[in-house]
Amino acid sequence: MVEINQEDILELLCRRLASFANTEQEITPETNLITQLAIDSIKLLNLIMELEDNFDISIPLNALTDVVTVYDLANLIYRIKSNSK
Amino acid sequence: MSSTIITLGDPLMQESDTQPSSKLSMAATPTANTLPQRLADFDTLTDALEYAADGATGYNFYDAKGGVRSVLSYSALKQHALMGARRLSSLGLARGDRVALIADTTPEFIELFFACRYAGLVPFAMPIPVNLGSHAIYVRQLRGMLESSQASVAIANLDFVGFLEEAAEGLNADHLQWVGTPSQLELLPEIEVVFQPNSPEETAYLQFTSGSTRMPRGVVITEQALMCNLRGIVRNGLEVRASDRCASWLPFYHDMGLVGLVLSPMAAQLSVDYLATRDFAIRPLQWLKLISRNRCTIAFSQPFGLKLCALRVRESDLKELDLSCWRAAGIGAEMIRPDILRNFADKFSAAGFDERAFLPCYGLAESTLAVSFSKINQGVMSIQVDTKTLVEKKMAVRVQAEGRKFNEFVNCGRPLPEHTVKIVDDNGEELPQMMVGSVLVRGDSVMTGYFNNHEETNKALKPGKWLDTGDIGFTLEGDLYITGRRTDVIIVNGRNIRAQDIEELAEQQPEVRSREASAFGISGSDDTTVVVLVVECRLTSVEERQSLMSRLQQMVYMAFGVNCLVELVPPHTLPRTSSGKLSRFAARQGFLQRANMADQISVVQSGDR
Repeated sequence: MVEINQEDILELLCRRLASFANTEQEITPETNLITQLAIDSIKLLNLIMELEDNFDISIPLNALTDVVTVYDLANLIYRIKSNSK
Repeated sequence: MSSTIITLGDPLMQESDTQPSSKLSMAATPTANTLPQRLADFDTLTDALEYAADGATGYNFYDAKGGVRSVLSYSALKQHALMGARRLSSLGLARGDRVALIADTTPEFIELFFACRYAGLVPFAMPIPVNLGSHAIYVRQLRGMLESSQASVAIANLDFVGFLEEAAEGLNADHLQWVGTPSQLELLPEIEVVFQPNSPEETAYLQFTSGSTRMPRGVVITEQALMCNLRGIVRNGLEVRASDRCASWLPFYHDMGLVGLVLSPMAAQLSVDYLATRDFAIRPLQWLKLISRNRCTIAFSQPFGLKLCALRVRESDLKELDLSCWRAAGIGAEMIRPDILRNFADKFSAAGFDERAFLPCYGLAESTLAVSFSKINQGVMSIQVDTKTLVEKKMAVRVQAEGRKFNEFVNCGRPLPEHTVKIVDDNGEELPQMMVGSVLVRGDSVMTGYFNNHEETNKALKPGKWLDTGDIGFTLEGDLYITGRRTDVIIVNGRNIRAQDIEELAEQQPEVRSREASAFGISGSDDTTVVVLVVECRLTSVEERQSLMSRLQQMVYMAFGVNCLVELVPPHTLPRTSSGKLSRFAARQGFLQRANMADQISVVQSGDR
């Protein structure tokens, strides 16, 4: 399996999230998923499904409770990915 | 009534002691039972389990890929529940003490629920956190429930016990004696006790209905009320037979999930196949695959769940599905819009789904679960009523001429036996059929009240034991039609959100004074509901106003998982009643006017409670 580092995840995530944003908004690690991207429940489910398929991981719901920014989410994926090896 | 006498040293129990339930067997329980079927004619929940435990059926849990994760036959459930009851007994609790359980879709939750009943304790299910960034607010919601219930014990699996421990900090230690995981509970000694049989008048469980941190409402349901409702569901609503099998993704912490798809099947000794709510939400077709593969006949959903299925399905999926076995597709828990059901039926008829399986029903946790069912095998019956007459005269008249504007409402059928529904006007006077008003229910399934909350109890329970459901509707030829919720409940994507709970969050911000926030729902594009929060605000700086708006949006999202439109208005903008109470109905009218959305203005009925 190809090693993936935190930065790659962050970059991929920013690109994916750009398609969720309704404006030309620039996505940075600090972007707030709730207030700036307005991720509603259906979008969130779609995103989780994509991320799980893409990274071959399972994202537990309890972990999302500490995710507010793009950086938080990237960090979570990285941690799950590293633990699953 | 059976009394349960337990002897220690039973080899079967010692064996299962070392084998967690999840390892017992990996073959799902059969549909056909070895026992004659009894349709919920028991005095108590444990009586029902005692009978079911002699058969071969039970609960099955599936993983996200459709594999069997664990199997819990009713026989194993009884053994494990008794063990759990003996361990709980070592804590020296009093009869009727409350036990809080975070209700993930696991065998452990069901085992502990029944362990409580064997030990004479009162369990209640608490939700699992599902929203982004919800950590802090979820902990506060848990603490609210622990406080309101004065729980003595709180149990959660490893994923969630951390939240529980945080919530327990700072609570009154006189009440909460023990917090831990099911495996930690297994380390407690089993006490040899002869359990007292439960009586029908005793409380069976509590059901929390609100995400409020300050004023949670725990519905008190007695054994009698529960068994009455289970009988109604199994015999009258579903006309259950021995060949039935259920499938469910509904969360165990909701009344429809717990009463409808955990307790009802057990009371009729049916097998059930479970998919975790999270797994359904991400891959909804797994639920349909389960139904197809296991030839399930009964499966309930909110309309939102059906919508998710229809959104996600591909042509290739349809070829793999055979839904012709599905005879009762119960629909409830939110306003039923016929177009969502039609759309589902259109998509899935190619997979053998018969639209006559649709079974609209109406109910609420305050009446255990079910109040009325439409006639089984008939599908959705609906009526198109003239919009103008509905709005101006609060009267439901079948639309006569072509081209007139109409509203379509689904027939939710007749009340269960031993239950009566009446429609009343704002003064509590009973209305004739076709007249729209508040829906009141009386019957043996109705709650005794909200736990430790006289104020809310008195608002909901009217003289003569009538429960004010908070919903608006009319009757026609004995059948019930729901036309709307009152403005104090907002339903978004299948979630019921109390307007009061959103306002309460707003008022917790330092810039917002009490009674200066009003929340309600409006129809957005694509027929979705948008939550609007109007706040009176004295701030003048753009930055401060922006900061407040973002914070409010974020708080509402974290607590309820929905986006919300925040409008800041000058003080004294929100309309108040003569008694100084905010009127959400009028606040909504005002908002729609300001937003140039006047076409929506008159559709919603008034009725702030």
